[in-house]
Amino acid sequence: MSSRRAVRSGGFGEHALSRRSLLAGSAAVLAAGLAACGRDSPVSSSGGSAGSSSGTRGSLTIGAIPDQDPEVLQRLFGTLADSMSEALDLDVTYQPVTDYGAAVSLFRTGDLDLVWFGGLTGVQARLQTLGAEPVAQRDIDESFTSVFIVNADTGLTPADDLTPLADLRFTYGSETSTSGRLMPAYFLSEQAVDPEGFPAGPGFSGSHDATISLVASGSYQAGVLNEQVWAARLEDGTVDPAAVVQYARTPEYHDYHWLAGPQAVERLGADLPDRLLEYFTGLPAGDEVLELFGAGAFIPTEAANYDQIEAVGRDLGLIS
Amino acid sequence: MTVVLDRPQAPPRLNRVRRRWAWGLGALAVLGWSLAGAGAFAGDVVNPAGAGQFGRFASAALSPALDGEFLRVLADSVLVTVAYAALGAALAVLLGAVGAVAVARTTWGRRRLGWTLSRGALAVPRGLHEAVWGLLLVNLLGLDPWVGVLAIGVPYGAVTAKVFADLLDEVPRGGYEALLAGGAGRVPAALYGLLPPASGGLLSYSFYRLECAVRSAVVLGLIGAGGLGYQLLLSFSSLRWEQVWSCVYALALLCLLADVGGRAVRRRVAAPRSSGDRLRRDPMLSTAVLGTLAAIVWAWWYLAISPATLVADRTGEQLRYVLSAAWPPDVDGPLLSAVAVAAVDTLQMSVIAIAVATAGAVLLAGVAAHPPRDAPVLRRVTGSAVRLALLLLRAVPPPVWALVLLFVLLPGVLPGALALGVYTLGVLGRLAAEATEELDPRPRAALTAMGARPVGGWLYGVLPAATGPVLAFALYRWEVAIRDTVLVGLLGAGGLGALLASRVSAFDWGAVTTVLVAVIALTAAVDLVSARARAALR
Repeated sequence: MSSRRAVRSGGFGEHALSRRSLLAGSAAVLAAGLAACGRDSPVSSSGGSAGSSSGTRGSLTIGAIPDQDPEVLQRLFGTLADSMSEALDLDVTYQPVTDYGAAVSLFRTGDLDLVWFGGLTGVQARLQTLGAEPVAQRDIDESFTSVFIVNADTGLTPADDLTPLADLRFTYGSETSTSGRLMPAYFLSEQAVDPEGFPAGPGFSGSHDATISLVASGSYQAGVLNEQVWAARLEDGTVDPAAVVQYARTPEYHDYHWLAGPQAVERLGADLPDRLLEYFTGLPAGDEVLELFGAGAFIPTEAANYDQIEAVGRDLGLIS
Repeated sequence: MTVVLDRPQAPPRLNRVRRRWAWGLGALAVLGWSLAGAGAFAGDVVNPAGAGQFGRFASAALSPALDGEFLRVLADSVLVTVAYAALGAALAVLLGAVGAVAVARTTWGRRRLGWTLSRGALAVPRGLHEAVWGLLLVNLLGLDPWVGVLAIGVPYGAVTAKVFADLLDEVPRGGYEALLAGGAGRVPAALYGLLPPASGGLLSYSFYRLECAVRSAVVLGLIGAGGLGYQLLLSFSSLRWEQVWSCVYALALLCLLADVGGRAVRRRVAAPRSSGDRLRRDPMLSTAVLGTLAAIVWAWWYLAISPATLVADRTGEQLRYVLSAAWPPDVDGPLLSAVAVAAVDTLQMSVIAIAVATAGAVLLAGVAAHPPRDAPVLRRVTGSAVRLALLLLRAVPPPVWALVLLFVLLPGVLPGALALGVYTLGVLGRLAAEATEELDPRPRAALTAMGARPVGGWLYGVLPAATGPVLAFALYRWEVAIRDTVLVGLLGAGGLGALLASRVSAFDWGAVTTVLVAVIALTAAVDLVSARARAALR
């Protein structure tokens, strides 16, 4: 016992100085951080801090569910926030959110005023937030599609018949993704394929990109994703056409849209949705915002466009 | 002479071994059942075609993203993560100190019922993973830094309360009883009779919690609370492996700093300087404590935390909203049977994970332990390499492991279990290495002196003595692994985590309550079994 202790204390005695200087070093790093940073919380831009600092101008917090390339998303919403600030005479802040569920909850709590939701998450948010209004969608959103992809080793050739997929290991994207889960599941069940009934149950890859990679690896033999992402990945060459091929395209459905919250309307006036719609539809062709959204134009939308999504969501137990 | 000394010890040892045999065979049976359930004996589990995708992940480790803008973003995220870790750990120690009084045997004396109930109450905050707490808190508090702090502080606080109470109960009670007999009240007697002898252990454990909090702060990023984990998730969801590795390296560096700093403090506490006046304050410990306090103050300022948020009207409103939606729990038949199936999957996943991690940890502990100063260069280099590998294993979050292992394994419980096993190996390997360093070095030295080879010396001089502590750590981690399965549940791995994620994303709060109750019950049950098994090992 005593010899063990002696060995141990001898062992660290030699290192004591370096460890001490290490601790001091970490403290110095922390102190440097202290000198370098501002007072606004780095993890939350909510609470209208921008508004309170600049007096008369109102503030609007916009957010997005993470369905696309996060870097594009970051750039996209920075550009959008600047453009909107200028056009609407408001302090617009972009708040990144990582999770579908979080975006819906934050919209309900009023942390986010205007959110770019997917079809299903928009319906969920609207059902939880009385008085929320769909404002606008992209021209491509009224005729959105998904693609079913298969691993090349399955030997399947493109077809409209989805029944051969029933016997394959199959993955969706994120659990509440409209294009990566909800509508494909609906179209599968239309063709009498149980959307929950694949061998060992369907997987949820978590993102469109993960779906492509998993199907390419062959762990899952088939999957489904947003056609916009699929086309973009084909174009930039990240998809290996020898490993993964498109099998079928779904019929068209409504997807992404802007949803404005009631608290923002209360704060900034009843005409807010109209002013927002005017801003979005008034963007000139070729505007940077349109380009970043991959859209030709924004067009009006209404709640009735998402009735089908709501019905499917209830069938699948995603809306309760 | 040794023969004479050894002989009387033989019979009791045999008895203990027999009891361990029962536990050992039971463990093997459970492992076999878990592997069978995971389909490990039923045909193909490997998907060799996915090696290329796995290779992309692995080769990106050599070319992390290092462009200026990304590094700047990374630096900001690191500060947020450090701030969460510091405040979360501070809150945990605070809650632990208060909670320890409520759950210590000393407080309850012979009133066993009260003690059992108060201990049982701890199972609720302890049974839920930090990420689950974060998910729930986002719904109450919105985008507020409190989410991250509370999500670490509350579950850690419950664990800390239990450990603090055990430490207080286990110190020699002579001084305390003398004070009581001398007419002191129970509070002053505890303050002057129990606290001083326990203070070393309390301090050690507090620093250990700080180390763990760094890793937890990253997991929180995954649910959107910001920091390093948030950047990691963004890069992960678009599979930018180069960026993912940059985040992993930043995290590994933070873990390393916390490990080394925390270890220095814990060693100092365990073996105070032998020379000099023992009553004088240890300057190194003082610096560490002051530095940590300064970090907490800085973190408070940096995150711009406002206590007003916690008592704001809006928070109460949201609490009422969630509670009214979450109560009563959903108890219809299909859900309950889904919960039962998922609970079995979770249990099997955790058993496989722990088995993989334990086997790996036992094999690597000898190499990973810091060698004596006169060790050959090769031994030192191997040791550093293994320690670095273990550090990276635990720096890559379990969900990332789950996806990349799914490239090379077919979907099912197995990839999830292995993902968790690999991550747990990172943690357990380090604990096992530390346990090996603490062992009596003499048996091995004796074997080596008599001409045994290094492997033989390790096999007969180190392994028998190291197995006990390593198994004890493994049983501790088993309970943690149950909670961690929540992180790898998606991707077809199933278990309670997948069920929870699906119910949360449907905002089906009644079912969420049911699943959470199941998670807590399973964690508590595993805790109980693990405690029994550890008692058998002692």
